[in-house]
Amino acid sequence: MISIEKLSRRGFLNMGAAAGASLLLPRTGLIGAARAAAPLPAVAEEDAVIGFGHVGPVTDEGWTWAHHQGVLAVQKAFPKLKKVLEVENVPYSADATRIYRQFVSEGANLIFDTSSTGDFLHEVVKRAPDVGFMECDGRTTMDNLGWYYLNHWYPTYVVGVAAGHLSKSGKLGYVASFPVPSVFSGTNAFLMGARSVNPNATLQAVVINSWFDPQAAAQAGTALIDNGCDFLFGIMDEAAYLQVAEKRGVWAAMWNTDIRRYGPNAYVSSIIIDFKDFYVDQVKKRLAGEWTSSENLFAMGKGIDRDAWGEKVPADVAKAADEVRQKIINGWSPFTGEIKDSTGKVRVEAGKTMTDLDLYYWDWSIEGVSGLSA
Amino acid sequence: MLQGLRLQRLPSVQPGIALAMRALAIAIVVLAASIALLVAGEDPIALGAQLVSATFSSTFGMEDFGLLVIPLILTGLSVAVGQQIGIWNIGAEGQFLVGAFAATAVGLFVPGPAWLILPLIIAAGALGGVVWILVPTLARAFVGVNELITTLLLNFVAALLVYYVSTGPWRDRVGMSNSSTPRITVEMPEFWGLIHWGLPIAILMALAAAAILAFSRWGYEVRLSGSNPSAAAYAGIAVRRHIITVMLLSGLIAGVAGAFELAGTVHRLQGGISNNFGYLGIMVAVLARNSCVGVIFTGILMAFILNSGIILQTQGITTSAVLAMTGAILFLTAIGDELAHYRILRAGSTRA
Repeated sequence: MISIEKLSRRGFLNMGAAAGASLLLPRTGLIGAARAAAPLPAVAEEDAVIGFGHVGPVTDEGWTWAHHQGVLAVQKAFPKLKKVLEVENVPYSADATRIYRQFVSEGANLIFDTSSTGDFLHEVVKRAPDVGFMECDGRTTMDNLGWYYLNHWYPTYVVGVAAGHLSKSGKLGYVASFPVPSVFSGTNAFLMGARSVNPNATLQAVVINSWFDPQAAAQAGTALIDNGCDFLFGIMDEAAYLQVAEKRGVWAAMWNTDIRRYGPNAYVSSIIIDFKDFYVDQVKKRLAGEWTSSENLFAMGKGIDRDAWGEKVPADVAKAADEVRQKIINGWSPFTGEIKDSTGKVRVEAGKTMTDLDLYYWDWSIEGVSGLSA
Repeated sequence: MLQGLRLQRLPSVQPGIALAMRALAIAIVVLAASIALLVAGEDPIALGAQLVSATFSSTFGMEDFGLLVIPLILTGLSVAVGQQIGIWNIGAEGQFLVGAFAATAVGLFVPGPAWLILPLIIAAGALGGVVWILVPTLARAFVGVNELITTLLLNFVAALLVYYVSTGPWRDRVGMSNSSTPRITVEMPEFWGLIHWGLPIAILMALAAAAILAFSRWGYEVRLSGSNPSAAAYAGIAVRRHIITVMLLSGLIAGVAGAFELAGTVHRLQGGISNNFGYLGIMVAVLARNSCVGVIFTGILMAFILNSGIILQTQGITTSAVLAMTGAILFLTAIGDELAHYRILRAGSTRA
C-alpha cells in the first residue's frame, strides 16, 4: 500500500514545510487577483489526487449535497484522476487538522475545505507548500491557500423583498447557525429587503450552534412562530424548519437547494448554490500547472441565485422581487447608506455603498434585528 | 460430561487472565471488523497495513497520534484516580471544558511574558477542573448524592458555557463558518515536532499518581477506603476527607487536560475543543482496569484507534463504523472482565 516514492515525498514535504511562506492579505485585498507566487507545477491527470472535506453528510440535500455535486462534476470532467478523496462530517476541532493532514499524506495535489475550518486547516496548509488548498468561506490567503464564497446577500435581499410583501405581521424569523459573517449578512440583507417594502418589519434570530441539527432547527422554528413570526428564513443545511412552517401555515425560505417538496405550500424560494463549474475549473488549473491561490466571490447568477418561486407565491410578489433582482444584476446595490446598527449608531454613511468585501466581513446587525450579539 | 463441570466465581481476578481477556476482546473486534470490511469489498489486510504505516511511518502521522495521546492519558487518569476510592467521575468532559475555558480566560486577558503566563494557564485549567467537580464532591461527601449523575449533568452545562463565550462575548470578530475565540498568544513549547510538552508531563503525572497511591500512607488509606469503606472507617481512616481530595484531584487532572489541549493543540476555545475526550477517558480507564500506569498504554491504544478512524474515513469508510468498533471493544471487554472472574471446576472438587 505504501510506496518508497510516497515515503520520500513525505520526507520532502516535511523538509519544505518550514519554508512555507504565509502572507495574510489585508481585508482590502483584490478579489480574484492572481497571487505573486509562481503557480504550482502541473500534475498528470492519472497521478492527481483531489481531496474534499465536508461539514455534513453528502445526503443532507443542502450545503454538502451541493458541494458533492461539484465533486461528481470533477469526476466526470476528469475520469482518469488517480483518486478523489471525500470525507463527510469533518468536525470543527483538531480532528479536522488530522483529516486534512491525512489527505496530504495520501498525496493530494489540491484540497477543498468546503466549510472553512480556519486554523485547523491552516496548520496543514503551512506545512504542505506544494499542495493547493481552497477554503470555502475562508478569509486567509497564502501562497498555496485561496478562498471562495458566494455573494449570497444579493439573492437574500431579493427573497427579503418577497418576505416584505408576504409577511402580514412584519415579524420575520431566522434560524441561525453561529454568529458568523454569513449569518450577519444573511439576516441584514433579508431584513433590508423586507424593509424596502414594509419599513416596520423586524427580524428575530435564534442561534442553534450548528449547521446541521434538524431537531434544534425545528424547535427554533416553532419558537419563532410562537413569537408571532409568519415568515421563516435561516441558513441550515437541511429542511427541518420548512416542515415546521408547512405544518403551522407560515411562509419559509431556504438555503442551498430546491427542497420545496418538504413544504410545498410554505416554500417561497431558496438561496441556490452551484459549485460545479468552479471546482472543475480549479482542478483544470491545478493539472495544467496554472493554479495559484485566488480569492473568489461568486456573483448572483453565477453559482448563487434565488430559486424558482414557490407555487403559492402570488405572481405580483414574484414580479416585484424579480425586478429588484434584475436591478442588482444591472449594477445597483441595495447596501447603500445610511445604514444603522442595532444600537442605532450610523455604520454606513449616507450615499456610501458597502463593497463585496465589506459584506463578506459583515459582523454587526442592522437596526431591527434581534437575537444576535452585535 | 458437561454436568460434571461447574463455574465458580472468584472475588478477585488474576491480572494475567484479565489482560488476556482484553486482548481477546480486541482481537474479536478486529476480526469482526475485518470480516465486515471483506464483505463490503475492502481489503482488510491492506487497510490494516495502511493504518500502521500512515500512523507510524510519517511525521504527520506520529504528530497526529501523539497529540491524541495527551488528552486521552489525562482524562483516563482522571477517571482512574476517582476509581481508586470507588468514585465514577463521568464529568471529565465538563471538567476538561471548564479547564480549557479558564485557561482561555488567562490566555486572552492576562498580559505578561510567556514564562509566567503559561504556568498560570495550566494552573487556571487545574482550578477550573476543581471548581467544576466541587459541587458533586460536596454533594457526594456530605449528602451521599450519586456522583454518576451530578458529574454527568454538569458536562452539558460546561458545553453550553463554552459555546456561549466562544460564540458570544469572547468571539473572534474575523469569523469563519464557525465561531471561536481569538487565538491565545502563549503556546505550550514543542517537545517533538508539533507534539508539545504535555505528552511527557501527562506520562509523568500518571506515574506520579501511581507511585503516590502505591507507596504513600495516603494512597494506602485511599485504596482501603475504596475497597471497603466501612472497614476503613472502623480503622479510623477519614473516608469522607479522602473522597473529597480524590474527587478534587480527579477534576484537577481533567482540567489540566483541557488547558493542555487549548495551549498546546487547539489555541482557540470553541465548542468542539473537548472532542469527547472526557467520555473516551472513561473507556481508557476501564480498559486499564483503573491502573494509573495502565492508562498510559490504553491511552496510546485509544489514540491509535481514533487516529485509525480518521485514516479509514479518507478511505471512504464512515465515522459510524469506527465508533461501532470502539463501542464493541468496550462492550466485549466488560464481558471479558466478568468472565475472568469465573473458573471452571469439576463437580466434587474441593479446591476453593
